[in-house]
Amino acid sequence: MLHIVTPENQHLFRNEMEQAYRLRHRVFVDEMKWADLAKSDGREIDQFDNEHVVHMLYVNDGTVLGYQRMLPSTQPHLLSEVLPQLCEDERPVGPHIWEWTRYCVEPAHRERGRALSPVANALLSGIVEWGLDSGISTIIIEMNPLWLLRLVQLHFRTVPLGLPQKIGDQDVLAVTASFDRRTLVRLQEMRGNSQRMLADPASPARRLVG
Amino acid sequence: MSRKVFDRTIAFLRQLDQARSVGDVCRQLLQVTRPFGAEYVLAGTLPLPGSTRQQQLSHVLLAQWPPEWTQRYFAHGYIFRDPAIRRVTSSTMPFLWAELEPTYRDSPAAWRVMKEASDFRLKNGFTVPLVTLEGDIAGFSLAGERLEVSPSERAMLTLLATYALGRTILLRETLSRPQVSLSPREREALQWAAEGKSEWEIGEHMGISEHGVDKHMRSARLKLGTTSRTHAVAEAIRQGLIN
Repeated sequence: MLHIVTPENQHLFRNEMEQAYRLRHRVFVDEMKWADLAKSDGREIDQFDNEHVVHMLYVNDGTVLGYQRMLPSTQPHLLSEVLPQLCEDERPVGPHIWEWTRYCVEPAHRERGRALSPVANALLSGIVEWGLDSGISTIIIEMNPLWLLRLVQLHFRTVPLGLPQKIGDQDVLAVTASFDRRTLVRLQEMRGNSQRMLADPASPARRLVG
Repeated sequence: MSRKVFDRTIAFLRQLDQARSVGDVCRQLLQVTRPFGAEYVLAGTLPLPGSTRQQQLSHVLLAQWPPEWTQRYFAHGYIFRDPAIRRVTSSTMPFLWAELEPTYRDSPAAWRVMKEASDFRLKNGFTVPLVTLEGDIAGFSLAGERLEVSPSERAMLTLLATYALGRTILLRETLSRPQVSLSPREREALQWAAEGKSEWEIGEHMGISEHGVDKHMRSARLKLGTTSRTHAVAEAIRQGLIN
């Protein structure tokens, strides 16, 4: 089940958020060696985990198996503050555009082979469901260029914001990816059911102003 | 420098949106890559060891490659000795064939494949390893007598290869499906159904009776090959017939 956690309801998910911060640290610091994110207490939290953040947690039996974080393009985010060089033209900004960051899955629940794992599918489906519920149609992503083909096949309409560049020893590409119901249907097709992944009932976005 | 290259990338992507066939994709791609010396393209997923010539050929997705070489290559199972293919399975970094030379210098079989390729005007090439949504490894190669690319042009070619392959795969999916054509009324009824309207509400919107709505829904279901309303809506969305 996918839960949306914001500063408003964070107090209901204290245990899960602790797990999420530690998962982030294990994946981004220990595994991917992004040393500048390292924190001595093993909880990866940065300046964007603020009042505007939307966390999404994939929880199974009380354990956080997957995580991603959405940041509004209308506030400081990774592309504007940390990786502006990945964008050649004006940065995409608007209430319908959010940045997808810190996507990570517990190692044991990742792809068998190279196809999309159930947790990965759930996380992607969660973004699309959340977007369709709240009028968000486009996400900004800074990613390994290998993800691009997957997104195209899933019927995300992706547009590069710049050429891929080396950051540390990894190639990174910034894109905008727009989605609609076709994207959700494709994801549902891949997992063989049309269940809703988000735990919350569909409700209009109350926090998505500005 | 990279600004201009980026602009060319975006221009290509706009064009690619208009491609209606795999042939279109091929033509558009080679038009952009020819100035670098890449006159030929071959892209496909990797067949399993032991695959027959027929099976190997069925993995090809996009091709404009010297035909006599293609024949020779698949008839002799060269794909299993090709150092470029070996590299695709072991690394995700795009590479120039020239960069492979140290790796196959001591292998006569690999050397032979590369040497014979150059006899067919495939002297220099650039290959982009890719992974499809389904998890299949694919190789996307551009080649010609010469190939001159700057670092930012390499980055551009990597993007072009990815999008060209993506578009090809999507086109093949669309074209392999029987083309469903819904009448305007059928489409309208389904669109309302997609928004969660009941048959009565749809009737109100369309100015017809529930019975009339049911008739349109039934014929839409038949055309889409589905048995339930939910399934019909999903299939129509999937095929881009409604939003």
